[in-house]
Amino acid sequence: MVSNNPAIDVRHLVKRYGEVTALEDLSLCVSRGEIFGFLGPNGAGKTTAVKMLVGLSHCNDGEGNVLGRPLGDRAARRRFGYLPELFRYQEWLSAREVLALHAKLAGLSRAPGAREITRVLDLVGLAARAHHRVGTFSKGMQQRLGLAVALLGEPELVFLDEPTSALDPIGRHEVREILRKLKARGATVFLNSHLLSEVELVCDRVAIVNRGRVVASGPISQIVGAGHAVRVRASADGTPLESLLARFGPVVVEPDGVRVDGVAHEDIPEIVAALVAANARIYAIQPLGVSLEERFIQMTEGGNA
Amino acid sequence: MIDVVLVTLRELVRRRFVLAAILATAVLVGLTAWGFDHLVHVHTRRGALSPLEIATTSAVLTLLIAYMFAFVLAVAATFLSAPALANDIESGVLLPVLSRPIARTSVLLGKAIGVALLLGVYAYAAGGVEFVVVHAITGYAPPHPATALAFIWMLSLVMVAFALLLSTRLSAIASSIVSIVFFGIAWIGGIVGSIGQAVHNDTLVNAATVSQLVLPTDAMWQSAAYALEPAAMIAVTHTTAGHNTFNGPFFVAAPPPTAMLLWTIGWIAVALALSSWSFARRDF
Repeated sequence: MVSNNPAIDVRHLVKRYGEVTALEDLSLCVSRGEIFGFLGPNGAGKTTAVKMLVGLSHCNDGEGNVLGRPLGDRAARRRFGYLPELFRYQEWLSAREVLALHAKLAGLSRAPGAREITRVLDLVGLAARAHHRVGTFSKGMQQRLGLAVALLGEPELVFLDEPTSALDPIGRHEVREILRKLKARGATVFLNSHLLSEVELVCDRVAIVNRGRVVASGPISQIVGAGHAVRVRASADGTPLESLLARFGPVVVEPDGVRVDGVAHEDIPEIVAALVAANARIYAIQPLGVSLEERFIQMTEGGNA
Repeated sequence: MIDVVLVTLRELVRRRFVLAAILATAVLVGLTAWGFDHLVHVHTRRGALSPLEIATTSAVLTLLIAYMFAFVLAVAATFLSAPALANDIESGVLLPVLSRPIARTSVLLGKAIGVALLLGVYAYAAGGVEFVVVHAITGYAPPHPATALAFIWMLSLVMVAFALLLSTRLSAIASSIVSIVFFGIAWIGGIVGSIGQAVHNDTLVNAATVSQLVLPTDAMWQSAAYALEPAAMIAVTHTTAGHNTFNGPFFVAAPPPTAMLLWTIGWIAVALALSSWSFARRDF
């Protein structure tokens, strides 16, 4: 039964390591069934936050729930999976043995556990190496194994901390497909990643964290904003385009047209009308937004990576 | 917890600790067999050694071998226990494990039990083979070998608990070094106590008692040694004990009191409880 309460709901979490404050006042709410991107520069507190959510670290202040249970609750751990950023698995075990250990720890019984192990090995493309020792695996293969461990038992919520950092482009594409399948079956994904282009491709909502605080959160379209500028490719007899469009905002001449900055989305029909009225030949009107990366850099003051 | 015990044992087997221990023990048993065989066939100016002389010498040598064996087991306990937890913490292996619905105490106790079981099997297998070989060659058998091995195993369990406690907060290498240093202090403490008894100095005797309470490894060795000493040897140590004679760590006139055994069991339980408390509170 899928509950209506949020998958993650934490308020005012504080984490200090001696004099260093890793998380200052972290509040988050992640709905069920969404892919949530958690972004921030190095040292922003992303991994600390994930570790607190999965019960590996204790908070100094604040409170919250994961899957409706208090932070650190053991029963909730039966229902989520976790791929750490610094993944390492017992190198003297085979991939299948690592998964068998986690299946037992997760409380899966023997026969369904064996089937589940086969399923996740197929899912991450490790079926052919199931009986090979982890010590012989490349970093990318170990990351695939970590993903398989996290997906074992079809958890309701999956925490993925930099899940594609060691993967090649094909591996990254496969992970995106896995995330979409997770979403399709109603699972919630908490994705901690530096790869903003990937986050843009798969996440429903994101939160940007900087210096231990959430500085922005919401749907990506809301974070980046819309109607930031318009690129116009047109030719008008007699009147230069920059003169024609100057009333809509600052005009920048580009090699194949002009860019009008500071244009709201609803002003675009007005621009088209002005061009038509001037008998201009219109080849393209392209609304331009800020990329997530640009917005990320703005919000994190240039980052500190 | 049983899953952690099994994976700990599997690690020790797959990482060839067991194979290395078997090979090293085979060398040790072979060398001692060769030595005892020479003892049996040695000729002095008076001719071959009498059965009593062979038995006495064998008893002394068996005690020395047992002492070395106890030292090896203590070191093995330390160098298996400290990395069992600390290396998994440092490498990140524990991160996905501890995010499962398992209590941290179960992980810690699982590792402790896995190492303890292996040490117990090794202590009885290697010690048993050694005693059988000595008996087969010389005809000498110590009076209570199984009891002695139980105390030696207990000694190693003290080191398991101590190293695990340290490894909840320190690196594997730091935990191992500190454990061995304290083991050495307890060993010296035992010798100081023996000197104190010989010269009737209460300060030295009390210092030794304190060191035995802080880390009861030497007390366990003394119990093991007493179980290995033939009655005649105990009688001799009794005779010399009150006459300014230093017996050293190898000969024990009287075993530590039963309370010391209870203290040791309690000590291990408290060390494991502290380890569990420390491990449960640490952040990853």
